[in-house]
Amino acid sequence: MFEFAIFFFFAAVAVIFALVVVLHRNPVVGALALVASFFALAVMYVLLEAPFLAALQVIVYAGAIMVLFLFVIMLLNLQHQHEEPTRPVQQFLGYSGSAAFVIGLVYYIVKFGVFAMRPEGPFNSDAMHIGIQLFQAYIFPFEMVSILLLAAIVGALLLSQRSVAR
Amino acid sequence: MPFDATDITLSLVKISVVLAALLNVTPIMVWVERRGSAYIQDRPGPNRVGPLGLFQSFADALKFILKEDVIPEQAHKWLYTLAPMFGLLPALTTISVIPWGQPFLLPAKRMFGRTFFEGGREFEPIVANVDIGILLIFALASLGVYGIVTAGWASSNKYSLFGAIRASAQMISYELSLTLAAVSVLLAAGSLRLTDVVAQQTEYLYLFNVIKLPAWNICSPAMWLSFIIFGISAFAETNRLPFDFAEAEAELVAGYHTEYSSMKFALFFMAEYMSMAAISALTVTLYFGGWDIPYWNEPGTWWSSLATMLFFGAKVTALLLVFVWVRWTIPRLKYDILMRLGWKVFLPLAIVNIVIVAFFVAKHWI
Repeated sequence: MFEFAIFFFFAAVAVIFALVVVLHRNPVVGALALVASFFALAVMYVLLEAPFLAALQVIVYAGAIMVLFLFVIMLLNLQHQHEEPTRPVQQFLGYSGSAAFVIGLVYYIVKFGVFAMRPEGPFNSDAMHIGIQLFQAYIFPFEMVSILLLAAIVGALLLSQRSVAR
Repeated sequence: MPFDATDITLSLVKISVVLAALLNVTPIMVWVERRGSAYIQDRPGPNRVGPLGLFQSFADALKFILKEDVIPEQAHKWLYTLAPMFGLLPALTTISVIPWGQPFLLPAKRMFGRTFFEGGREFEPIVANVDIGILLIFALASLGVYGIVTAGWASSNKYSLFGAIRASAQMISYELSLTLAAVSVLLAAGSLRLTDVVAQQTEYLYLFNVIKLPAWNICSPAMWLSFIIFGISAFAETNRLPFDFAEAEAELVAGYHTEYSSMKFALFFMAEYMSMAAISALTVTLYFGGWDIPYWNEPGTWWSSLATMLFFGAKVTALLLVFVWVRWTIPRLKYDILMRLGWKVFLPLAIVNIVIVAFFVAKHWI
């Protein structure tokens, strides 16, 4: 009962702030609303008995990535300039695509009963189990991600150096 | 989750104790800072209001409340008002996972021939003893930058914006080395739970197999590098001198809170001192044995628990005094030196340190 109340409150917070991100004209307000939405999402993880993931969600997304977003927005001092009106084709694709997504989502929820599903067996989501799983069962994807990140770092270095040389 | 009245009462008691302690940190620390700076600079300082000027903080608070609350015309009204609250929130909440005393069994309470409380329940002096302990602290602390950034942007003032941008760059950089330095302590404890970190430090270690030392992390040489990195990063995280670029008076008027007045400014002030107290409590927990009293096996009764609470408070106070001492002793660094230090010195050192400590832990030397 208590958990349901918390779930619906934070679900509403997440959805409302996500709407603010899309609809608000000011990019700084949008970025801050996205932080609030991420925070509400972290509460969902806690309710799903995965507090470790919740902490990582806040540290990585809300604490690090969004600070960088905000940093860039403030440095560039983005103003809301007059934009060209979107073309009818773009509008049609956007509306029909999102409508198809919503219909698919509702169908999935109704058909498979997402609310009724429960994971089988004990659910271990503490740091120790996640660490052991990462370095045993998922070592290959883990190393692939680290190589990807390394490539991204080298690429960023290369791009920034080239601009200095000119 | 089963709820009963005793649980709720105990939680409320703990929350009120922690909140009362935190809210009192600001006025006391403001007085300590002003008198301490005066002592260091060889001048009297505020000594007129009350004995030793102790009531100066009340006068300050009254002044804050009575001042006009100005919102600049160009400011973004909503964010301008919300920013001080964003700043205060992490400072208030991080303390909740730090243990501030030894647990003890609550005795039964009988009065007038009736049993009011059956006893047999352990009182743990920590608001929320969660699995992810220290991660929660870092998660909440990483949100602390939003207060400053929002304030700087919403003020529509170029000095505020510069302060905010500097603060965000600085806090992102030093958060990394702070977290990585703390990892070595967690490696030694083998847990993210801060009660486990303290429990590991209540034992003893023998220097040269002769000198008996408390097993605080500060006493083991493998932790010294991590402590140095953690300590310096803590100064950067709380935006204190020698790293107070967010408000650097000589360059940026007052930095991110240039436009703020009245209680909104007071909230920033409170947030600064509360996050100082929180990071001092965290440092005590990680490196100075938490509530542990050295050379005394706490029997685990209510009075020994009270003694550990007072000792914890004394350790935190000592660290807060170090914060004040450093602020009035060391001049501000240059901004580029700060960033270079963070990324090119502390970050690689912290990573190397993790490898060294992991080696020590694997060899059972810690």
